Amino acid sequence: MTGGSPGRQDIGPVRQSVDGSTLSTSLEAAAARLRRRFGGRLLEEAVFRGELTYVVAPSDWLRVLAYCRSAPALSFDRLDCLMGDHLPERAERPFEVVAHLTSHTHGHRLRVKTALAEGESLPTVTGLWPSAGFDERETWEMYGIAFEGHPDLRRLLTTEDFEGYPLRKDFPLQGTVGGRIRTDLRGKI
Amino acid sequence: MSDAIAQLIFLIIKAVLIPLVIVLIVAFAIYFERKFAGFFQSRVGPTYLGPWGCLQSFGDILKLLSKEDVTPDQADKPVFRLAPYIAFLPAFLVMAVLPFGPVGGEPNLFGYRFDYVIANFDAGLMLFLALGALGVYGVLLAGWSSHNNYSLLGGLRAGAQMISYELAMGFSVVGVMLLAGSMNLVDIVNAQAGNFWNWYFIPQIVGGLVFFVASIAELNRTPFDLPEGEQELVAGYLTEYSGMRWGMFLFAEYVNMVVISAITATLYLGGWRAPLEVLSFIPGPIWLFLKICVLIFLYMWIRWTIFRYRYNQLMAIGWKVLVPLSLANLAVTAVVISLVS
Amino acid sequence: MSGEQATKRPTLEELKERKAQTRRRLERTGEILTLSMGPQHPSTHGVYRAELDLDGEVIVAARPEIGNLHRGLEKLCEHRTYHQIIPLTDRLDYISGFAMNHAFCEAAEKLMGVEVPPRGRYIRTIAHELSRIANHILWLGVHVMDLGTQTFFCICFRDREYVLDLFEMLCGARLTHSFARIGGVAKDLPDGFEHRCRKVIDFIPKRVAEYERIIKHNRIYYKRTKGVGIFTAEDCYAWRVTGPPLRAAGVARDLRKDEPYAAYDEVEFEVAVEYNADVYDRFLVRMKEIRESCKIIRQCLDNLPDGPFLAPDAGHALPLKKNVLRDPAAMIQDFYQVFYGPQVPKGEVYRAIEVPKGELGVYIRSEGGPKPARVHFATPSFYHAQAVPALVEGEMLADMVAIFASVDIVLGDCDR
Repeated sequence: MTGGSPGRQDIGPVRQSVDGSTLSTSLEAAAARLRRRFGGRLLEEAVFRGELTYVVAPSDWLRVLAYCRSAPALSFDRLDCLMGDHLPERAERPFEVVAHLTSHTHGHRLRVKTALAEGESLPTVTGLWPSAGFDERETWEMYGIAFEGHPDLRRLLTTEDFEGYPLRKDFPLQGTVGGRIRTDLRGKI
Repeated sequence: MSDAIAQLIFLIIKAVLIPLVIVLIVAFAIYFERKFAGFFQSRVGPTYLGPWGCLQSFGDILKLLSKEDVTPDQADKPVFRLAPYIAFLPAFLVMAVLPFGPVGGEPNLFGYRFDYVIANFDAGLMLFLALGALGVYGVLLAGWSSHNNYSLLGGLRAGAQMISYELAMGFSVVGVMLLAGSMNLVDIVNAQAGNFWNWYFIPQIVGGLVFFVASIAELNRTPFDLPEGEQELVAGYLTEYSGMRWGMFLFAEYVNMVVISAITATLYLGGWRAPLEVLSFIPGPIWLFLKICVLIFLYMWIRWTIFRYRYNQLMAIGWKVLVPLSLANLAVTAVVISLVS
Repeated sequence: MSGEQATKRPTLEELKERKAQTRRRLERTGEILTLSMGPQHPSTHGVYRAELDLDGEVIVAARPEIGNLHRGLEKLCEHRTYHQIIPLTDRLDYISGFAMNHAFCEAAEKLMGVEVPPRGRYIRTIAHELSRIANHILWLGVHVMDLGTQTFFCICFRDREYVLDLFEMLCGARLTHSFARIGGVAKDLPDGFEHRCRKVIDFIPKRVAEYERIIKHNRIYYKRTKGVGIFTAEDCYAWRVTGPPLRAAGVARDLRKDEPYAAYDEVEFEVAVEYNADVYDRFLVRMKEIRESCKIIRQCLDNLPDGPFLAPDAGHALPLKKNVLRDPAAMIQDFYQVFYGPQVPKGEVYRAIEVPKGELGVYIRSEGGPKPARVHFATPSFYHAQAVPALVEGEMLADMVAIFASVDIVLGDCDR
């Protein structure tokens, strides 16, 4: 399989390019490789401000990310961050998990997103990049998105007894939901 | 008044005065430590209490006395309370056998002989080594009784460190003993009669340096202050001590420092003797005091300048460098003395 | 000493072997003592908690716990306009406050498509490099204090005062600068700043030479940091460790060169790289970075262009304060920006900046309104805190402190 011409648009999603920005050559080659490998499994492709974004289904999450890491044309050896997002205006799949990947060898970046329904979970990527451990814990804590196979999925930044998922849009900015002074734990911690 | 009653009165005076003087020296040593720390760090130390802040220690004592006495719930209370005293009492006791002026000779005070030593003890050096070993108990028991992992680690480290370095101290001190032919501190000082080139730091240069370095480890001062390794173990064996109990440990550390300086001066720097014969009209205690001050300044200078060793490196230095050096010193001293005599 | 090192670069296998030697200490099993290097500790840089399992002096396992300084920054950002978020970013890594402002502004400007005028870019570069110098000097003082001397800490703080005085001259604040704005910076360089800045950047390299003289060849420092905390490039990639630890592992990655922003593509400087991947090399990297920062500032001052320091962009940037009460267009712009906010297109960006501690990635998603829909800060300290167990297992307790300081964690940055 040779690296095909960058402009092959007949496999995979139509590229949405809102601002007409272009990608670097290595990133175009990576995009071509991804399209050849996954084709229609890439649900969306977008280019904005010189950044490439792919949306995939939750069932393809681990496969796509593993390929991004291992394929030589892509070789995204670092997970810059993995985060969650909540779009309540999308009724059927309001949650999103976004992974930003970087490659040291090629120097390009990629964003891979997936849309989730309430209660849906994703496989963990800590097997690929150990740095995802804290990221996934924070996403779980802030949005309630569970990651299967995570070695230690529990609250990270808030207290252990915090109730609710703070970064969801329906969680208030101020208030006393969850979290209070635990006088019953005095002398035990 | 018979001689016995006079000697009794003198004894009581000495037994009261000497601890008092030591306490005063310690109070000002703490002040000077902070002042020197300030100067070494491009800042001024205490300046508020008294002229140039010299009454800072007394202010600190009052403050510490007014603090709440917090004892951990699950600590071994009798041992916890006893530990600071075990840490400093042995040092105080050593001062009983340390001469701070001429001993023996003509009656010099109202027709009676005032000896500048509390107890002219024949095994004074042995007493010093033994009591130094006792001081380790204070630290160990403090660490253990606090019921706290940090304190335990600190206490264990301190115990191991102090025991290791006591060996080096002991061996280097034997060299002095061989030169003077006696374990009595009075005799050791008398054997250094003359000018400063008769003092023992010249023939025993290696032993003296080993003793000095080992004494820094005995005192738990930087670079050997892992037991209170502030940055690693919060405060090591001192973690659970607050208020005046902590003050007692601090007091113990500085009393130890003053006493070990006094011993170093006695063994290697001629004790109460003047550096030049012509200057011997200045009384002995003043010279001893000056030498103690110089040594204390050296300890403080080293503390504020040098880094801390890691624990295994520290033990390696004690066992692999200092003990062989002091043994070599001992061997060479013994050989030279037997050849000369 | 450094001459020898430059010629013998260790290979990856050699580094891995040295790391394996440390790991072999883990095979001893004695009784495990659990030590809580708790949130209150003199040498965790902030409220960081690590539960250490100790076998004697060897750390067998470490479990980090963060979150004691979590202030809900990302949630707050969703309820504020882009201009109002800038002071919040100061409190991320409060030691190098301007760098955080700069990172956020770069991301926001990328999203909005705002171009910063040349003078603004140069001033941003100067301020960013000054905060890098301040950060590294403080790092040095704290790192050395953790190893035992408090004297050096005081000396470093005294030298840092010169840089903080410069910041005070520039923006009025020593620590929380809030100096960057969307489209440029808040104020122009004041009179006398250039002269004073030149004096400071002439003085700092001499101080760095003094620090190196005291520390680099200090036998105790060498013994405590050489070969300690080896973290190879692969480990760094896996754990997302960036900045000086990555460069100490031989990877010449510096976003100022790889993805330039501000005025970094118009100045010449070298990337500080070392090859032994231990705590000693991280020290060397940071000292070299201070010197390179002084070089960058000097070049920026020499070539400082004239012109506006804030983009005259009515839709996105604030107007110059002096025009607000005089010019009706500026007044309208001011009202619009302050009471409503900037006009932002729909979309999302991710922009990574080389802040003093590593790479800070800012993600902003906008639905078109004046307030962002999602802001995420991928801060270096967050990932360095996570990497601590991998760095520390097999090392001794005293090394934990040295290693922990060398990856430079600030809890404000970590917990957001």
